[in-house]
Amino acid sequence: MRFSVYQVSRKGGRDKNEDRMGYCYTRDAGLFALADGMGGHPEGEVASQLALQALASSFQREAKPRLAEPLRFLNEAVIAGHHQLLRYATERGLMDTPRTTVVACLLQGNAAYWAHCGDSRLYLVRGNKLVARTRDHSYTELQETLSQVVPMNDRYNRNVLFTCLGSPGKPVVDTAGPVLMQPGDRVLLCSDGLWGSVSDADIAQALSRCSLADSVPELVERALRVAGSKSDNVTALGVEFEAAEAAEATEATEAARGVSTSDLGEEVFASTIQAAIGADAPVEDLDEAEIERSIKEINEAIQRTSSKRR
Amino acid sequence: MSKPKPAPLPSGTVVGGYQIIKKLAAGGFGVVYLAEDSDRHLVAVKEYLPSSLAERAPGELMPRVKPEKQPLYRLGLKSFFEEGRNLAQISHPSVVSVLNFFRENDTVYMVMNYLQGDTLQDFIVTARDLKRDKVFRESTIRSLFDEILRGLRIVHQHKMLHLDIKPANVFVTNDNKAVMLDFGAAREVLSKEGNFIRPMYTPGFAAPEMYRRDGTLGPWTDIYAIGACIYACMQGYPPNDAPQRLEKDRLALSLSRLRNVYSDNLIEVAEWCMSLDPLSRPQSVFALQKELARETERRYTKLSFSERLKLQLETLKTGQKA
Repeated sequence: MRFSVYQVSRKGGRDKNEDRMGYCYTRDAGLFALADGMGGHPEGEVASQLALQALASSFQREAKPRLAEPLRFLNEAVIAGHHQLLRYATERGLMDTPRTTVVACLLQGNAAYWAHCGDSRLYLVRGNKLVARTRDHSYTELQETLSQVVPMNDRYNRNVLFTCLGSPGKPVVDTAGPVLMQPGDRVLLCSDGLWGSVSDADIAQALSRCSLADSVPELVERALRVAGSKSDNVTALGVEFEAAEAAEATEATEAARGVSTSDLGEEVFASTIQAAIGADAPVEDLDEAEIERSIKEINEAIQRTSSKRR
Repeated sequence: MSKPKPAPLPSGTVVGGYQIIKKLAAGGFGVVYLAEDSDRHLVAVKEYLPSSLAERAPGELMPRVKPEKQPLYRLGLKSFFEEGRNLAQISHPSVVSVLNFFRENDTVYMVMNYLQGDTLQDFIVTARDLKRDKVFRESTIRSLFDEILRGLRIVHQHKMLHLDIKPANVFVTNDNKAVMLDFGAAREVLSKEGNFIRPMYTPGFAAPEMYRRDGTLGPWTDIYAIGACIYACMQGYPPNDAPQRLEKDRLALSLSRLRNVYSDNLIEVAEWCMSLDPLSRPQSVFALQKELARETERRYTKLSFSERLKLQLETLKTGQKA
């Protein structure tokens, strides 16, 4: 599979950046994810980081190198993040649990699957058309959906969510897919800092007009400009699906930021999501297979890097 | 009370096709050897052999690990892999490169480029003992850190943090290249004693957030250490450690000693990097690089009479140089 990816996260006018993003892939599958830690609860940045780590480690465990059941995987990996948050709060005796939204997209073969909880969004753009967008788990979006069915009176603040990871009840996770991808299709994951300031139409237009490396940072800058000095954290990760199969060697090396997963061996996993730093990583025992696998991964990385050097 | 350190492999031993020539260094994580590959090229081989967990009698190959220490030993191994994984992804002249990684003798080995030269720490000690008013020339400091920052930028681009930048981990090769060494996440975990993990850090170079359990680490944490290294290159000694500074911050005072010796801009850069509040520091290596590379006319400000007096009083009070 070949794809290119561009991600950027900005703090805006806030003290901390509580948004996190990242991606990881094996030879046959790629996982892209974004989480927005929630203010008003403790340690939002920990919450978003833990949610991504849970996704990445589930992916590493199960994608060998394909996922047998993508939708079940997404659902369980998101819920695993929820359990991490509860555990984190219990271990530290926190009065309140850190909370986060999450949105994740999985590409495998020529299909895309996604899942989300909260109001971080996924946009799928084909040509210049917005083909799909996730529905936020906020009262406003629920109201819009339900207003045709039952009359509702109050207008709600768009920031009020009825579900997220780390909340007392079991989170609502919406999943979608498989959606067949065509070369050139673009997926954008973003936090509410982006879509709160830039309209859906503008997002779709920007994505269809120029390359990800131009459109993603431009969208983020635009959101920061519109929101001004009080801007929320703004984070966006764009993926362009290029092909299900590996291209000819020459073409692949020319694709500037493109990733060709065929560089990876059977059992290898590459990730931009930083593993837990030090103290709080759950200690799992390294078994023999894991040791062998680690050594193999490192040597493959050495080979990849040294072939680039030449 | 302290148990003997595990013995290094004897010279002449062949591991993974590399012939050991001699031991170069030993630390808490293991031993670094000078070795030769099959083409007689010199390489550095790092052996995972945590001294607090493993035992090895002289002349033996296999380390012995007591069963109760196995879990920690495995945990440290994970960090050793982490270091290998991190370094393997980076190809940059300012970051030491990994050539091979293999398993033998019940432990693991990482093969790296062998560098000839000395650590920045050695250079600082030699230079300060000459007792000139400057430890290094300002242009030397600027170009040295420009190189280090190029490497660090790549490290951060790979979503990694070094977390132990200090002069002893910066190597200056005989052909005048600065190379960052020791991406040992290993130490972080190996300092685990009892039920809590004490993060490892080097006083003076570790940012305040490294001392806190809940501290959020980021590029700014490495940038603090860079500031402290610049300080050490100007002053000849490391700065006070972060807890001391939180109690009573003498940084501005001791930097004032350097006024008129180094340009105001360089002194300000060091102070900026070393802000106690992470948000007040340069938030990215790039921001810092831009500042360091700014070639404006260097301004030097002399100390005023009252500032000199204050310095002298401080010296009398503490009995040492601030």
